[in-house]
Amino acid sequence: MTAVWFAALALLLAGPVPAALARARWTWQVPRAALVLWQSVALAAVLATLGAGLASLTLLFTEQPGFPFLARHGLLQTTLNGLTSFLVAVVTVRFWAVALLVGVRTRRRRNRHREMVDLLHRRESTGEVDRAVLGESGVRVLAGPGRAAYCVPGVRGNRVVLSDGVLQELTAQEVRAVLAHERAHLRARHDLVLEGFTALHAAFPRLVSSRSALDTVRLLVEMLADDAARRRAGSLPLARALVQLASAPGGDGEMAVGADAATRVRRLAQRPAGECGAGDRALPRRGLAVTVYAVAAVVLLAPTAAIALPWLLTSWDFLTR
Amino acid sequence: MALGELERDVMDRLWTAGRPLTVREVHEELATHRKIAYTTVMTVLDRLAKKKVVRQEREGRAFRYSPAATQEQMIAGLMLDALGGVSGQDDRQAALVHFVGGVSAAEAAALREALDAVTAAEAAGDTTGPT
Ligand SMILES: [Zn+2]
Repeated sequence: MTAVWFAALALLLAGPVPAALARARWTWQVPRAALVLWQSVALAAVLATLGAGLASLTLLFTEQPGFPFLARHGLLQTTLNGLTSFLVAVVTVRFWAVALLVGVRTRRRRNRHREMVDLLHRRESTGEVDRAVLGESGVRVLAGPGRAAYCVPGVRGNRVVLSDGVLQELTAQEVRAVLAHERAHLRARHDLVLEGFTALHAAFPRLVSSRSALDTVRLLVEMLADDAARRRAGSLPLARALVQLASAPGGDGEMAVGADAATRVRRLAQRPAGECGAGDRALPRRGLAVTVYAVAAVVLLAPTAAIALPWLLTSWDFLTR
Repeated sequence: MALGELERDVMDRLWTAGRPLTVREVHEELATHRKIAYTTVMTVLDRLAKKKVVRQEREGRAFRYSPAATQEQMIAGLMLDALGGVSGQDDRQAALVHFVGGVSAAEAAALREALDAVTAAEAAGDTTGPT
């Protein structure tokens, strides 16, 4: 029966749980804890899938050599066990193959991009904001059309890239907010979290939850970097930079702000600046964070303890008999 | 001096030259400003050719080098690569982490137009370097 429990758990952790987590709004209050929970759910799903496969396999082969299993349990259960093992093998191989591919491609694209940025960035400063920005280590400015603000993570050297379009449209303080935001991404290696969920989505694109999981994790990562940036540069410059860069250039009356950008700006408005101090709101938030961390631990450890341990003990018994 | 800076300087020479240069010519240009070994220039040009930002062609016993594209074209291409990551066409890769993704599709389209304009102007007249 272990295989069935594992399979049920895997399905639960791959479907309804992430779907509910993607809809939850309380996660915006504690993005760091929420990200830990997301990772623990994803890891638990992968482990449960692996567990289902291993349990089916051991059931088939550990009783006695040959196939007395068929005689004892009947055709239906034997087929089910065989099928589960096969399915799990396919899913597992697919996930790791795609994850490897995503990793290789990501790194190749990053390296190429960083090389090109280093080759093409503007070295001569034209203004005061400019001089300050160009002077910072790891910051590169691109001349030419378009507005871009992003970071290129990597062990061989990080880059924060801004385009002239961005520098022209933002004040010095707003630029500082953008830089603080990108530096937070780089410092906390948010790219690794994103890469994991990108791989998950690339491996199982038709699984509805994998799309919303990736989108939600992306948004939470942005919120985490926003929190770091507002501590350094203030909420207002950050919000202004967000609106400025997310709204359509040209300006034909209405502002086409991306949904995520609007969510982030609204969130910046809701929470008071300097919230890192112990305000009235800080305490319940800390309580929420602690709860979420605890749930994350349970999600990861409880199935292991409840299902895997008895199964491990039985397997051990069999091997040492 | 860092290798990256040197690569940058060599590219600048090739861009301003307007014609394919030999290693010797690049070396002579650079040597007026700083002490630099001929073999270093050769290594740098070789690296740039491997990165496909420089074209290498044989002329007799020597190689001549020219930029694969103008600086404007390369920058436009780089921006396109950067903004393409948000537009969703390429969202399998989490290579670059953007500050915000808003009107990425429109941005990418505008950039593509700009890139096309540069390319068209390039094709119409004043072609720098061989094709
Ligand atoms: Zn960001």
